[in-house]
Amino acid sequence: MLIKTLTSQPVGETKARGVEASVARRALRQRFGALAPFFAIVVQFGLILAIVDYWQLESQLLSRLMWLAFVGFVIHHLLPQRFRLPFFAILSLLAVITSVGHLGPNVLRAWLTGKMTTNGFLYHLFPGLTLIGIGLGLIGICHLPIRFGARIAAVAVAGAGLTVLRANSRWFPDVTEMWVFLGSMFMFRLMVYLYDLKHRTAPFSPARAISYFFLLPNVCFPVFPVVDYKTFCSTYYNEDWVPIYQNGLRWMFRGVVQLLLYRIVYQFAPLDVYKLSSALDVAGCMLGMYLLYLRISGTFHLIVGLLHMFGFNLPETHHLYLLASSFTDFWRRINIYWKDFVMKLFFYPTHFALRRIGPLRAMSVATLATFFATWLLHSWQWFWIRGTPLFNWKDFSFWAILAVLVLVTAIYETTRGQKRTLSPSRVTLRQRFILGLEAGAVFCLMCILWSYWTCQSWAEFRTLMDAASKPTLRDIAIVLVVFAIVCVCGMLWGRSSRETSEGRSTTATRGPFQFWPSAVAVTAGSICLLAGPSVVTWTIPTTKGLIARLHGDVLNARDMDQQRRGYYEELDVGGMGNWRGQAVEEPEGWSKGKKAFFRDRSDFLLRDMVPSMSTVLGGTSCTSNSLGMRDREYDKLKPASTYRIVLLGASNDMGTGVKDDQTYENLVEDNLNSRVPDARYSRYEILNLSIAADSILQRVLRLELEGFEFQPDAAILSLSAVDEQFIASHLRKALIQGIEPSPGYREVVESVVRRAHVNGKMPAVMIERRLQPYDRELSEWSFRRFAEQCAQRGVRPLVIYRPAPADFSGLKGARSETLARSEMLGLARTAGLEVIDLSPAFDSVADRSSLFLAKWDDHTTALGHRLLADKLYEDLVPLLFGSPSKQQTSRLQKP
Amino acid sequence: MNPQDIKTTVKTFILNEYLPGEDPAALTDTTPLMTTGILNSIAVLKVVTLLENQFGITIKPHEAVVENLNTLSDIARLVMSKKA
Repeated sequence: MLIKTLTSQPVGETKARGVEASVARRALRQRFGALAPFFAIVVQFGLILAIVDYWQLESQLLSRLMWLAFVGFVIHHLLPQRFRLPFFAILSLLAVITSVGHLGPNVLRAWLTGKMTTNGFLYHLFPGLTLIGIGLGLIGICHLPIRFGARIAAVAVAGAGLTVLRANSRWFPDVTEMWVFLGSMFMFRLMVYLYDLKHRTAPFSPARAISYFFLLPNVCFPVFPVVDYKTFCSTYYNEDWVPIYQNGLRWMFRGVVQLLLYRIVYQFAPLDVYKLSSALDVAGCMLGMYLLYLRISGTFHLIVGLLHMFGFNLPETHHLYLLASSFTDFWRRINIYWKDFVMKLFFYPTHFALRRIGPLRAMSVATLATFFATWLLHSWQWFWIRGTPLFNWKDFSFWAILAVLVLVTAIYETTRGQKRTLSPSRVTLRQRFILGLEAGAVFCLMCILWSYWTCQSWAEFRTLMDAASKPTLRDIAIVLVVFAIVCVCGMLWGRSSRETSEGRSTTATRGPFQFWPSAVAVTAGSICLLAGPSVVTWTIPTTKGLIARLHGDVLNARDMDQQRRGYYEELDVGGMGNWRGQAVEEPEGWSKGKKAFFRDRSDFLLRDMVPSMSTVLGGTSCTSNSLGMRDREYDKLKPASTYRIVLLGASNDMGTGVKDDQTYENLVEDNLNSRVPDARYSRYEILNLSIAADSILQRVLRLELEGFEFQPDAAILSLSAVDEQFIASHLRKALIQGIEPSPGYREVVESVVRRAHVNGKMPAVMIERRLQPYDRELSEWSFRRFAEQCAQRGVRPLVIYRPAPADFSGLKGARSETLARSEMLGLARTAGLEVIDLSPAFDSVADRSSLFLAKWDDHTTALGHRLLADKLYEDLVPLLFGSPSKQQTSRLQKP
Repeated sequence: MNPQDIKTTVKTFILNEYLPGEDPAALTDTTPLMTTGILNSIAVLKVVTLLENQFGITIKPHEAVVENLNTLSDIARLVMSKKA
């Protein structure tokens, strides 16, 4: 019994303990089962945040907003369901106040530590609060207890008043940046809101309205998808939170990938029409222009993905638009929210109103009306973001052409009928092949149409076509390969539009949701994007410059030169710049002295500097001496015991954007005079003959016509990888103005002009494009001329290679740097010239933006000039005056 | 007229116009039409015209939406509510 008791008791206890353990394990498993996906989601969100931060995607403010969203997401998820929407509304308002008023942690810290007054702090709140006040006022008008027609009239009156204020935003300089976001939040969404309010298709409440209009990510993206109010409300937590969040993360990841792809295209595609030299270049240019749209689809994915993290299970904004098989298909896949918006407000109402004239006619009129509205609304968007409306023929003709193409396809589909299938597996290989060909054809036509839209003028587009006039077999073969790739992609994925053609995805139309594979894919992809650059630069060190170029939001060479982009690019330049408080467009008066500082000449030099002039260039005061140089005063006759150097360069050598005593040339001169490297000379002078935008031909000619008069001992010809662009523009100006080349230059110039088939009556862009292939020949000739002329007069010729801040050590990545550093210096050496390479001068600078004057101006800053001066002095002295030991001796010998 | 008649009429129309050769049994009352691209925006207009002509109802622009036209059942419900 005892034994029985002794043995049975433990068995019972063990059993009980086993049951308890089993229950505990099950509870743990359940708890883990709920917590694990949440932790996985938090980790993925954190990784995406790190990518945005690491690659400096879009702006610093986006990174800050992502942090806010990340913290907000965790709190939001832990809140009971009924508090979540009000919390999102409050978070969105907080984002508006902090972002529009630049109220970051630094401002807060300064105020808390007493470094900023309370008035100063309140000043930062003012723009955001003004925006919120106006927004709430507009929402309030929509809900006034009056007839609906009267409410619309009241909104229209308020809108008209705000339009006047936006057009004259200078009246309220303290809230200038607010207008961009007010427009972005209300210009389209107010129309949708009123429509849904009229038809009562969705529930209405203050939290919903505030969340809808002040959508959290909007403060980072002036170009924002037109979210549909009804969809916004109906998709809010319409399924379990796990698939909603995970889908959002997937889209955010897709968004950052697209933004990085955009950066590659933007930095490395041959986008400058002036620099195209072959049919392949033209194809690359057109493809690049089309792919620039990746920025919009990338940001839209990021935006909608972020909204998913707060329960808004919104549909996809873009769906494989590059693989559209017809123009109607393209219209349905690209910017699906916009298509839904214009369909809802313009197409269906117009069509229904005109049904009596017949379905085909009604559809035709409705389609044309929809595209007309699209054109008008794009101009409206432009107005709110840039401050001026966009009305030009190019924009109108683009939308008109697209309207006709869509209409023709729609009529064809209506009359012929478009066969669908209930099951994708029913699609035959022949059907897939046709689909692939259609996708390839639409892709090519869209590339052409998009480049037409992106080109600045008809002349530029003609030049683009002109450059493609003589394709080689290699060009054709490469283009055909790309075409074939698009066709194959179209065959494989072209039909997947079936899932989202109406811009709505439902659980019924999606594949089964699998959390862990998706989470692993996003995590692995994110880690690749974070670790990839380090791994690549470690294994292939030469890619360092390439990766550096992809970091940060740096303008490419073309935009630096011309400050222009396509519709969305330009829209963003203005919008994002205004918002960030560092307007990308040149501020008024930045270069007001350009006209006063230079004057035209009637000879082949074309321009020179007005003597004794003081003005503003690159936002900084700039003075010329009595000899017409941006320099100190010098005697025309070289004083005794003086070593005199003349410097021949362009705007960066002239010192655009830095003070008179901060130019690298003056710093080197000061250094020479303070250290006296050669006892034979008591004084050193560097006469700066640089003139902004001088081509190498002008620089050498300027030496011949003016420089030698100063009896120089040495002449320095300064070059940079981007300077070669000046050759074509110099010859173009001379041709258009009918100016003959100087004797000695005539033969080579006339030979080039003849072979390039250019004349002064052609469009400027076409002349430059056709002259482009002769840059190398003219550079080579100029180096030889420089060497010969100096040798004849006993002057020591030197060539310096000056890196531009955006040059990244002369990286030959873009076509704008055709004659990159190594090539140029090779030509100079071949001509027997001594070369000083200043490229390493900027190596120590990790943040290249500190070397730019401003986002809109790539001239070198004072820091850049100091670094150039240090490097030039270090290399110049041994070359001109011997070894450092000799210098030391010289210094000791100095009386 | 009952919902089944409406479904049959619309189903016949869709099979003839957009799904020739498909198995009629595969098109059920709950097969998504708009969200799967069987009915795109242009096709929706044709279906609306059919409903108006066949059943003597008037459909407004804001009613030509996925909630009302995505499945045969949705369509039947819309027509019945209009007829009521």
